[in-house]
Amino acid sequence: MTGAWLLVDGLEHPPDAAAQMAADLAMLDAVAAGGAPVLRLYCWDPPALSLGRFQPDDDVDHAACAARGVDVVRRPTGGRALLHGADVTYSVAFPQPSGDAGRVDALYEWLAGGLIAGLALLGVEAAIARNDGPAGPVCFAGQQGADLRVGERKLCGSAQVRRDGAVLQHGAVLLHRLPFDELDLVHDRPGDPPVEEARAHLRHATVTLEELGAPTEPRVVAEALVEGFASALDLQFTSRVGSPGG
Amino acid sequence: MNLPEELRYSAEHEWVAVDGVRARIGITDFAQDQLGDVVYVELPSVGANVLAHASCAEVESTKSVSEIYSPVSGTVVEVNDTLGDAPEQVNGDPYGAGWIFVVEMADPSEVGALLDAAAYRALVEA
Repeated sequence: MTGAWLLVDGLEHPPDAAAQMAADLAMLDAVAAGGAPVLRLYCWDPPALSLGRFQPDDDVDHAACAARGVDVVRRPTGGRALLHGADVTYSVAFPQPSGDAGRVDALYEWLAGGLIAGLALLGVEAAIARNDGPAGPVCFAGQQGADLRVGERKLCGSAQVRRDGAVLQHGAVLLHRLPFDELDLVHDRPGDPPVEEARAHLRHATVTLEELGAPTEPRVVAEALVEGFASALDLQFTSRVGSPGG
Repeated sequence: MNLPEELRYSAEHEWVAVDGVRARIGITDFAQDQLGDVVYVELPSVGANVLAHASCAEVESTKSVSEIYSPVSGTVVEVNDTLGDAPEQVNGDPYGAGWIFVVEMADPSEVGALLDAAAYRALVEA
């Protein structure tokens, strides 16, 4: 998987949330059809709540999302609801390796090497997360081996889809916090803790680059991640192309 | 890696147990090990027509969604509803309680194009 990759800069003038997911899926399909591996970095405007592939739609409080101007979109990947708008999102598409290198956990670990190297350039010492935290509708409330933590707090959540011999993985690095969070946008479930208790847990379980005193300018963060992927994973980004549709 | 001799296998990592024109299908021990802990299986619909080597179901593990391909063409006549409450059966007993669906085959000769255990082992160990 080393070698020449395409780099797609999607930081400026982001399209809507549905178009972002369509662009990621187009990357996956292009790689499945024999195209070059791709790294894309992008932002979200307006904010969007992305749901996991099989997450029940009735987890979402659509009225609350509309009231806050938040798009709702379904990811092709697994996991739970994630609020975008104060993050840099990376997505990578590449051929699925054979053998043990193609294991789900092996690929999360391989890509984490690039993310950790990139975050180190921002002065952040991140590590692969442990399986921890409550099951529930909010991605960042829990941790899995797909995620990155600083100390015990989650900074980056990632998810995958694999089909036709190709893999798409995308994930969000938290820059700062919006004035609201996922708990303002999803419905309580029976047995859930009171919302303020859940919010306190979410706040404690997550951390942003701003809170770590690291740079939060999306382009600075994105360039560090590109450098991290290039150096840690031995990738050469031979082509810089514009954002999808732009 | 457990590969029962009596089954046939696809290059997409499904197994097939043939009983007349009916093919019981699941994912292999190799596939479940690659995926990690399965948390959800999106089953095909009973009555759905499926094509050999085309996607007809999906599985989620560790926030990763993977497609399941039917090794043979035909009509889905049975699905394993117990996976709704216990998807971990795909990991714990991939050739038994973790079966996923049954296809009534349109062309049973398609089974002849599938791999035997030795050929499948060679594929995944290549």
